[in-house]
Amino acid sequence: MGFFIVKRLLGGVVLLLAVSLVAFTMLYIGGGDIARRLLGENATAEVVAQKAAELGLDRPFVLQYVDWLGGAVTGDLGRSWFTSQSVFVDVSNRLPVTLSIVIGAVLLAAIVSITLGVLAALRGGWLDGVVQVISVIGFSIPNFLIALGLVVVFAINLGWFKATGYVPIGTSFEGWIASVTLPIIALSLATIATVTQQVRGSVIDAMSRDYVRTLQTRGLGTGIVVFQHVLRNAGGPALAVLAVQFIGLLGGAIVIEQVFALPGIGQLTVQATTLGDVPVVMGVVITTAIIVVLVNLAIDLAQAALNPKVRLS
Amino acid sequence: MMFRRRNSAIALAVAAAAVLSGCAAGGQDTSGGDTEGGGTLTLVATLSPTSLDAAASTGGNAAPFYQAVYDSLLRAMPDGSIEPFLASEWAYNDDNTELTLTLRDDVTFSDGTPMTSADVKVSLERFKAGTAPGASWLNNVETIEAPDDTTIVLALSAPDPGLLSYLSRDAGLVESGDVAESDAESLATNPIGSGPYILDTSATVTGTSYVYSKNEDYWNPDVQHYDKLVINVIPDATAALNAIKSGEANGVRLANNKNLAEVEGAGWTVNAGEINVFGLLLLDRAGTMNPALADVRVRQAINHAFDREALLTALQNDAGVVTDQTFPERSAGFDEELEGMYDYDPEAAKELLAEAGYADGFTLEMPSTASVGTTTYNLIAQQLADVGITASFTDVGNNYVSDILAAKFPAAWIGLEQGADWQLAQFMLAPDAVWNPFKYQDATVDELLQKMQFGDQAAQDEAAAELNAYVTDQAWFAWWYRPQNSFATDANTAVEMNPINIYPSIYDFQPKN
Repeated sequence: MGFFIVKRLLGGVVLLLAVSLVAFTMLYIGGGDIARRLLGENATAEVVAQKAAELGLDRPFVLQYVDWLGGAVTGDLGRSWFTSQSVFVDVSNRLPVTLSIVIGAVLLAAIVSITLGVLAALRGGWLDGVVQVISVIGFSIPNFLIALGLVVVFAINLGWFKATGYVPIGTSFEGWIASVTLPIIALSLATIATVTQQVRGSVIDAMSRDYVRTLQTRGLGTGIVVFQHVLRNAGGPALAVLAVQFIGLLGGAIVIEQVFALPGIGQLTVQATTLGDVPVVMGVVITTAIIVVLVNLAIDLAQAALNPKVRLS
Repeated sequence: MMFRRRNSAIALAVAAAAVLSGCAAGGQDTSGGDTEGGGTLTLVATLSPTSLDAAASTGGNAAPFYQAVYDSLLRAMPDGSIEPFLASEWAYNDDNTELTLTLRDDVTFSDGTPMTSADVKVSLERFKAGTAPGASWLNNVETIEAPDDTTIVLALSAPDPGLLSYLSRDAGLVESGDVAESDAESLATNPIGSGPYILDTSATVTGTSYVYSKNEDYWNPDVQHYDKLVINVIPDATAALNAIKSGEANGVRLANNKNLAEVEGAGWTVNAGEINVFGLLLLDRAGTMNPALADVRVRQAINHAFDREALLTALQNDAGVVTDQTFPERSAGFDEELEGMYDYDPEAAKELLAEAGYADGFTLEMPSTASVGTTTYNLIAQQLADVGITASFTDVGNNYVSDILAAKFPAAWIGLEQGADWQLAQFMLAPDAVWNPFKYQDATVDELLQKMQFGDQAAQDEAAAELNAYVTDQAWFAWWYRPQNSFATDANTAVEMNPINIYPSIYDFQPKN
């Protein structure tokens, strides 16, 4: 297993290199006049040219990339061209905010979808129908629309939650709950829809297996059968889906953060990409790529733990 | 079996701990304070400052970030006048080539060091040599001398009627000269100025929320109306509107005029100012790229093609004032008589085009950008088509401004800031103006610019009026309207709008009671 982990991490490093080169190339080609965007419409051409030289924008592509790469491998991601803040500090300040709503959404989705999926699979009938409808709705309505709806009803009209901004849990627990609840709900709905279906399907499939009938004839209650045996078998595919959802939610968080004005990675990415703030965009790309590699590795290990038949290769 | 349940319980606990610790470690409180916070002013800005170093100050929507911590040499008042600030008095020499300012002697920076002329000299020199958008404002300043601690002398290569206005804005911000010379990089995130508030670096989240506390040793308590200042950055217009409706701020600049009724419905006040003028820039007046534009009749025809009132209703919800002229109403150059020179008259437009030899119309190439939406460009295409002109748009995305300024298009639609008279002339009309990318030169304009530059105030005002009348008559632009610059304040906050900056001055916010 150790060999497996090392192999995957090495592969991850190659992936990071490839991703960074592609991202840098896209920024370079599509960047346009970054210095002008930085300075706005009031600046004269001379000042703009001076700024471009200051940022090293007039150097050849390879030189700019190698310069960035040289810094990145030593942990120096540079400074934002637009806020002069260290990219590393910026990302590390904002990543926890994004992770908190993404992990929160994944946890909420896991709990709700397992519950609904199992109930729908076991009870069937009208409950199954209701769950199906909820799934379709959660899947088809864009999460920002749901978010806006939640804001209007629960934040503005009822005043139960905050409409904008983020309160760290260290400052105030109530404040934190008030600021992350609506974003987590909005973010999790599409995932709930998808994973519920997945769990329902897997449980139905597992329940029809011989071993389940065997266990039931031995007198074990349905509850014990489901929790100790069926879920473990149905867990594998569901876990895989959750992993994919987690990665997707990192992207979905971008829109949610805009709607709720949360100081996370998503908001940083939007601002940086629109402006052409290369150091920040590269920092975010690398961070996200690292997260993806680690999450995929973790899921593979979890799958192996759940199901001894899975061979890590 | 127990083992498995314990495992999942542990896993759940670990995940929960990650979520919670992540929240504690990262991010600070970026929630907007409610008005019950006792002396806290919470503002919303649409963008964050690029760097808190005064030498990089961009003004405009980022002005409050700098004004909170830095003082300027002069102060621009809401009524347009210029008053003393760090400089208690000033005077030009006879031919306006030397400006001498006397500085206050009771000002200290937030690190306790006293402000002297040496700090002013360093600040001005750094601004001029730097890459702030306004750096070119100090182009006429040749030398800056500090003969004693409270005197600063600017020697100019030529008179500059805009200098006093510039010194009341970004160019006049004063930072600690000692810190600027020993550790300039730190100023980007830890500004050391003499302003009414001090940045609380630990509570500030760069790019999202800037927290300032009252400077207890400030020399001018009259303009300090709050104990704490929080400026939250919310680029998304809907999120900003939600902040208004849920009372999470005291002052918000509205990105557009589409939701004024909603804002007022939430119990807020919409304060109206003016700062920009919107319309078509007919840049290629020599016809190098599009020969049709060289003929003044064609440009006048374009002016007659637009139904300004309808455009104001469609695009700005009627919030604003239609206009034909280049200088704003508060300017000495403004002339009420010029309004209506180009009334909406497609027939007259067609006649003019026919006279100029374009009875069959022509194609006008212009840039477009998705970030503005499609309505504006559709309306332009429609109204020009009605007089036989085909508008051909090319989407240039984020390079809208830079492509126009690189003279890639003969004409373009945009909104431009209307600064003080000389600044406006240098910005839009002079042969080397930023917004004259084709470098179009005109003898009459040159003459009037000379008159403005070398004359006294009366001559400057006269020249502004003549310049305004001339470029309007010559249809250098096809202006549409001056939209209302809307700033919303809650029931407890009053503000006075500033005529030369899009965001009100920090000094002009007050609690109402």
